[in-house]
Amino acid sequence: MPDWQDEVRRRLSGLRLSPTRETEIVEELSQHLEDRHAQALRGGASAEEAYRAALQELTESDLLAQGLRRVERPVRLEPVVPGTPRRFGMLGDLKHDLRYGVRMLWKNPGFTAVAVIALALGIGANSAIFSVVNTVLLSPLPYNEPERLVMVWEDDTKHGYPNDTPAAANYVNWREQNNVFEGMAALADQSYNLTGSGDPERIDGKRVNANLFGLLGVAPLHGRAFAAEEDRPGANKVVILSHALWQRRFGSDTGVVGQTLTLNGEGHTVVGVMPADFQFPDRQAEMWVPIAFTQQEAANRGRHYLEVVARLKQGVSLEQARAEMSTIAARLQQQFPEQNTDLGASVEPLHEHLVGDIRPALLVLLGAVGLVLLISCANVANLLLARAAVRQKEIALRTALGASRMRLIRQFLTESVLLAAFGGVLGLLLAVWGVTLLKTFIPENISQVKAITVDTRVLVFTVLVTLLTGLIFGLAPAAQASKFNLNETLKEGGRDAAAARGGNFVRGLLVVAEVAISLVLLVGAGLLINSFLRLRSVDPGFRTDNLLTMNVVLPQQKYPDHARRTAFYTDMIRRVEALPGVRSAAVTNWIPLVYQGDSIGVTVEGQPAPVPGQGKLPIVTTRVVSPQYFDTMGIRLLQGRGFEDGRDRVDSPCVVVVGEGVARRFWPEGAALGKRVVPGTPDNPDDWCEVVGVVRDVRQLDLAADPKPLMYFTNAQAGFFAPRYLVVSTEGEPSALAGTVRKTVWEVDKDQPVSNVNTMEGVLSESIARQRFSTLLLGIFAGLAMILAAVGIYGVMSYSMAQRTREIGIRMALGAQKRDVLMLAVGQGLKLVAIGVALGLVGAFALTRVMTSLLYGVSATDPATLVTISLILVAVALLASYIPARRAAKVDPLIALRYE
Amino acid sequence: MPYIGSDILARELKKGSAELLILSLVEDQPRHGYDIGNLIEQRSGGVLRFNVASLYPLLYRLESRGWIQGRWVEQPGQRRRRYYKLTAAGKKVLAAQRNTWREFVEAIGRITGIENA
Repeated sequence: MPDWQDEVRRRLSGLRLSPTRETEIVEELSQHLEDRHAQALRGGASAEEAYRAALQELTESDLLAQGLRRVERPVRLEPVVPGTPRRFGMLGDLKHDLRYGVRMLWKNPGFTAVAVIALALGIGANSAIFSVVNTVLLSPLPYNEPERLVMVWEDDTKHGYPNDTPAAANYVNWREQNNVFEGMAALADQSYNLTGSGDPERIDGKRVNANLFGLLGVAPLHGRAFAAEEDRPGANKVVILSHALWQRRFGSDTGVVGQTLTLNGEGHTVVGVMPADFQFPDRQAEMWVPIAFTQQEAANRGRHYLEVVARLKQGVSLEQARAEMSTIAARLQQQFPEQNTDLGASVEPLHEHLVGDIRPALLVLLGAVGLVLLISCANVANLLLARAAVRQKEIALRTALGASRMRLIRQFLTESVLLAAFGGVLGLLLAVWGVTLLKTFIPENISQVKAITVDTRVLVFTVLVTLLTGLIFGLAPAAQASKFNLNETLKEGGRDAAAARGGNFVRGLLVVAEVAISLVLLVGAGLLINSFLRLRSVDPGFRTDNLLTMNVVLPQQKYPDHARRTAFYTDMIRRVEALPGVRSAAVTNWIPLVYQGDSIGVTVEGQPAPVPGQGKLPIVTTRVVSPQYFDTMGIRLLQGRGFEDGRDRVDSPCVVVVGEGVARRFWPEGAALGKRVVPGTPDNPDDWCEVVGVVRDVRQLDLAADPKPLMYFTNAQAGFFAPRYLVVSTEGEPSALAGTVRKTVWEVDKDQPVSNVNTMEGVLSESIARQRFSTLLLGIFAGLAMILAAVGIYGVMSYSMAQRTREIGIRMALGAQKRDVLMLAVGQGLKLVAIGVALGLVGAFALTRVMTSLLYGVSATDPATLVTISLILVAVALLASYIPARRAAKVDPLIALRYE
Repeated sequence: MPYIGSDILARELKKGSAELLILSLVEDQPRHGYDIGNLIEQRSGGVLRFNVASLYPLLYRLESRGWIQGRWVEQPGQRRRRYYKLTAAGKKVLAAQRNTWREFVEAIGRITGIENA
């Protein structure tokens, strides 16, 4: 049959009709010609005559053109106005593109929903983590000119304490001799029993120099700061309250200023209340009292317990301060060799001190969410690519109408950014919610945790990330879509095989990238989880189950001497142990994992004392415990005996129990029992303490660190460190006994505060809160990455299988079995995954190194983790490609062959 | 009667009457273009003939004026065709044109002595 359409179309050229209209007219007219032709044939005309008869209809074709021209409206060409600034055109285009984009998204709700959710998850996670980074790492500390604030430490690197708390005498010398600081202030831990009004309460506070608040540049909200004369021994006792304490205990009553509180049995006048956002050094401190060094205290070089903050003079650099402090420390070494040998001074920016530990974890998390977002981008890009293939006709039309390649790319990018914007808005909502969630399990002792919010900076960050996201995932589809063969596509049913193949290539590339990135994340998470599990399974040397712990700190005023304290504790332990369900009870100055201090130098009998000026005494951590402590804590006795009631009394010879590390170090030949040591240096022969037992080492200071040398004294003899903790070993669930134990304490003294009631499990868990935080978050992000990657692989495989339906049909018609089709499809997916895993492993090798400081007991390239994670990912990928493959294999060859 | 398609008078007459013819033909039922062309030829006994080049611009003009309305209709086993039906506006125009045409023909008859058809 003659091609009437062509005949008609030829005659319409030059009319510049819109393509749609032209197609319609061509169809209608050619059909008329066809009818005419058919009728002529039916009337008995020869083919030749019929053809001519039909063509006759088109004579006077100029008439047709004329007639149509009068009726039909030609397509309006975009007017080119010389001299028109280009951006007006662009703005107009943008408006048009946006409107068009909204319409496209609205018309494809399924696609839009999937894409927006994927993007929202990615963007939301980024904004949430950035909120934390923003507040904790980037925001200046809430003090005046915080960049000039530093911490000054004793540098005892030789004994493993590069930033050690200074002794008062050293601090006093530093303050007098330096020329680099505008001011220096010392702080010391002190907790207070607040009694008198309401329940007795234990409150953590700090003794501080009077100039602290001026040094930080923060004024009290109510009342005044300390006066210089209040920072002297014998001055009137005064106290400044934190905002939180003021609200909680005093109902925000401004009248509290001027009132007198009973702290540790002594009256203190409230002179001020600090503002709500003030904390120093952390939120734990709820009241501040002048430190008022006594002469004796100010001369002490042996007790290291202060924290020192200082403000650099204007124009003095950190390096200058370090140099000067080193000089001063060297001078003090020469002057006081017994105490100061090997002791330097280090200067650390305050910001680093407050956020140093958490920085690597936060940066790793920020990197991780960035990678998650990249995977989201890859997924959405994949969706867009698949859709671009569907939209080829539309693109063809636009090209035919004169749209340039740039113009098309712009249209596509506008749509992508629009999509990203929806994702961004939803993501921001997720971030707000996520930040609230994060704050509930972020370790509390991290600086400024309470201040974390979604602020302007986070908003700007989100907007930038969103724009960038839109550009990243829009680029591939835009480039792909604008590069195709116009003629091929315009033909009915024409398929641009080359473009499809190109699209498949890009899609394959995206899958490879997704797999690689999620592998890196999963390896990171795997390493952290591995570390965390190892940390949890570390044998700390003591039992953690069925142990109840609480603070019972006796006020100095009420229990001024050792005898009265001992009497209280003995009575308390006796009553608690009598409770049903209690196995044993003991007191100690510090339970494990809560405090790093209370270490002293000791002299070992028979070993040469350090030559004055050349060395100092070996340092051990000391703990003062009641006799049942080792039993209660499950610390195994290796040699000799533990402390015994009635036998080790204040009037009997001093005895100590040492950890195995101490025994090995001081008496390597193994005969520690019966040897003698003394804290400090012996002033008279009665000072010596005999080693009566050796116990297993415990991780007293830090679960991740090897045990430090540890020496125990019994509280019956040692008056120098008063017990602060009661530990109770229980038959069943320890927390169930908390109330009863507390009541029992009050039976002994109804005014005695009991605080920090916890289980040993809880204490251990809090000590690794940071590790848990980063492990949990990275685990969540890696899981998210894996799900997104699986969805991506699934999408690509489904699309690819749909495209190959015909091919699969032919294969099956030619005898291929379902299994062959499955193998074909899964093999295709597996190839991509294998490449992704290989690249991911390379990436993991490179990237996990930054995590070294977060790991415990595993190397950053732990082979077991790498292999396990790779296998998991391959399994997930296999599943993701198996489902579409199975669907493809179910295809009926007949249907597949007809499929077009 | 010989074919008068080339005659100038006939052409003008045809042009003047064409709108009326088409509107009349789609008055009772929707028809497609080929049908309309055929009916005009048959009912005029072959005197009036529209070919593609003359018929369709006319149809489109009528449609663009809103007097007739075209619609693609698919029927089983056939390719889709465009059917035109008379609109409400078209009905008024048709009535008016019929009147005018009748008056015109009567006037011509009275002058030329040609009997009224």
